[in-house]
Amino acid sequence: MTTIPEYLVKMRETLPKGRIPAKIFNDPQVYQLEKERLFSRAWVFLAHESEIPQPGDYVLRWIADLSVILVRDEHGRIRAFRNACTHRGNQVCKAEMGNASHFRCSYHGWTFKNTGELVGVPYHREVYRGQLDKNEWGLHPVRIDTYAGLIFGTLDPNADSLETYLGGFQFYLDFFLRPGPEGTEVYAPPERWVADTDWKICAENFGGDGYHTPVAHQFGFALGFYPSTGRTHFMGFAAHIPGCGHCIGIGHTPGLPPFPGFPPEVVEGYQQALTPEQISVFRDARMAVATVFPNLSFLIQPFSLTPGKPGLKFCTMRLWHPRGPGRIEMWTWCLVPKHISPELKQEIYRVYSLAFGAAGTFEQDDFENWTNLSRQNAAFNADTFELAYLQGLDWEPLSDFPGPGYAFTPYVTEIGFRNLWGTWLNYLLTPPGERVDPTKVPPAFYPAKHASAAE
Amino acid sequence: MLLQDIPLPAIDLDYIKLYHELYQFLSYEALLMSERRYDDWLALFTDDAVYEVPIRVTRERGAAWELSPTGRLFDDTKETLAVRIARLNTEYAWAEDPPSRVRYYLSNLLITSRSNDLPENQQEVTARYNVLVIRTRGELPDIEFVSTHRQDRLRHTQDGWRIAHRTIIIDHSVLQVRNLSFFL
Repeated sequence: MTTIPEYLVKMRETLPKGRIPAKIFNDPQVYQLEKERLFSRAWVFLAHESEIPQPGDYVLRWIADLSVILVRDEHGRIRAFRNACTHRGNQVCKAEMGNASHFRCSYHGWTFKNTGELVGVPYHREVYRGQLDKNEWGLHPVRIDTYAGLIFGTLDPNADSLETYLGGFQFYLDFFLRPGPEGTEVYAPPERWVADTDWKICAENFGGDGYHTPVAHQFGFALGFYPSTGRTHFMGFAAHIPGCGHCIGIGHTPGLPPFPGFPPEVVEGYQQALTPEQISVFRDARMAVATVFPNLSFLIQPFSLTPGKPGLKFCTMRLWHPRGPGRIEMWTWCLVPKHISPELKQEIYRVYSLAFGAAGTFEQDDFENWTNLSRQNAAFNADTFELAYLQGLDWEPLSDFPGPGYAFTPYVTEIGFRNLWGTWLNYLLTPPGERVDPTKVPPAFYPAKHASAAE
Repeated sequence: MLLQDIPLPAIDLDYIKLYHELYQFLSYEALLMSERRYDDWLALFTDDAVYEVPIRVTRERGAAWELSPTGRLFDDTKETLAVRIARLNTEYAWAEDPPSRVRYYLSNLLITSRSNDLPENQQEVTARYNVLVIRTRGELPDIEFVSTHRQDRLRHTQDGWRIAHRTIIIDHSVLQVRNLSFFL
């Protein structure tokens, strides 16, 4: 079993004080623990249902370093399997996507139906003489569940339900996933690349790092894409689900029409699909950015093909897949409302692809910063180097906010990140076999008036 | 896009002249990119130019497509290329400050079609060739490379050759670059 670095144990005390050891962002031991204790037990995003619309459609995805086949069987049921033949462990599916009724291993020819059932064993009679029970040797199933088109998988048979795991964050996710009663679909296959970047800094950034935007993406303001000033930029809300790790930042710009930057058919779609409470939170949203713990994120923001033109809102979904210590495989999709015209979907995608993806004007600067910080935080003594997570330590949550969890205003704060890293630490410090108890995650804020109680 | 549909071009003096003309034009264009003279580079595109890099997906042999019909890494016109360049020209393009060193190695040029029936200054040719793009950045000794195949529609205008449509086919389905803050 992997030993726990001492600085992780110490982090339990320093995190509530807003201090995090830099080493967590690039450490082989941490990566090993993440595989054994986090990605082995969390609900990990696999695919959007629209990626496998027809019976037989499949995609290949990852949970940690395990290749997973996600397939819609002939009856329309979605199933997930470990992409490994039960005879020698060879990969049975080698294409990233496609349509198949069966998966046949190219080594000895064992053949599995897309239900996972072992149906073909060459020379069955001669080599097994009736001693092989095919029922016992189907593909290894992976437990899956869905929410609003998102398919998640977990390797932990005892994990809480996905509904419990999301813990009310569905309220916020609906802004990304329900732009109309029919929901969303992916516009294209995911764009993927690998970089020397730790997945965690990306997950954190998309948990609501409004602090970096005016600096890291200053070009957007300099070229005239965004009229918002430094002052209005901070307006809005930050919310998180305590103990679950999920967090969102919602930037508000006052004085705009409801659901600004969305085409009329999407404004109408939101009004049909969202509850009055959700509408009250999102109708003034200039942008919103959220992370589902551990490594799935969403962003809605406006952009245009030329500076000064009215921005059109796009939605990106991204998976920060860990490929090693300080190494990421990036997956990014553009989600479009299902109910709008093909022309409008394309228009939204073009705006998205100018902003995000490896060549995206926003993504370029993010990956420069994230790659460089991942490199610095790999230093041999980075465990002694504390990073400042001090924003909002003594803030009071809003008492009349209609959404679940804790919400704060303005939106630029680091409260949600302390909850994110507290949740992450809770997984890493909970031994295998024990339930990861969300109530063990320390609070992410200590309002001044309760300071004595927190001591 | 299938190679078997392309006849091997017949070599005559016209072809040899054109081959060298295009090879020189493309080499010059590549040098402009390496030297980061992006405004001059942009001037080599026609006003109606398309610059696109489809997402590649690993598919089974015989699948309907490997290059996504909808997904693009770059989905650009001359107008959006100008936006990218304007960004790089600001003081805030952190991804390229200090700048990357990017080299373009061009080879395997084939001129696969010529439209002689168009008026003199609108004649177009289709050129296909490989480009190995190598990026070096900062003090890192590692390189990032992108192996590509280009299909260009080049138009002969009164100002010389111009790029009317460039499709860049990438070989990786998972790129090994931190970003694409340069052009392919």
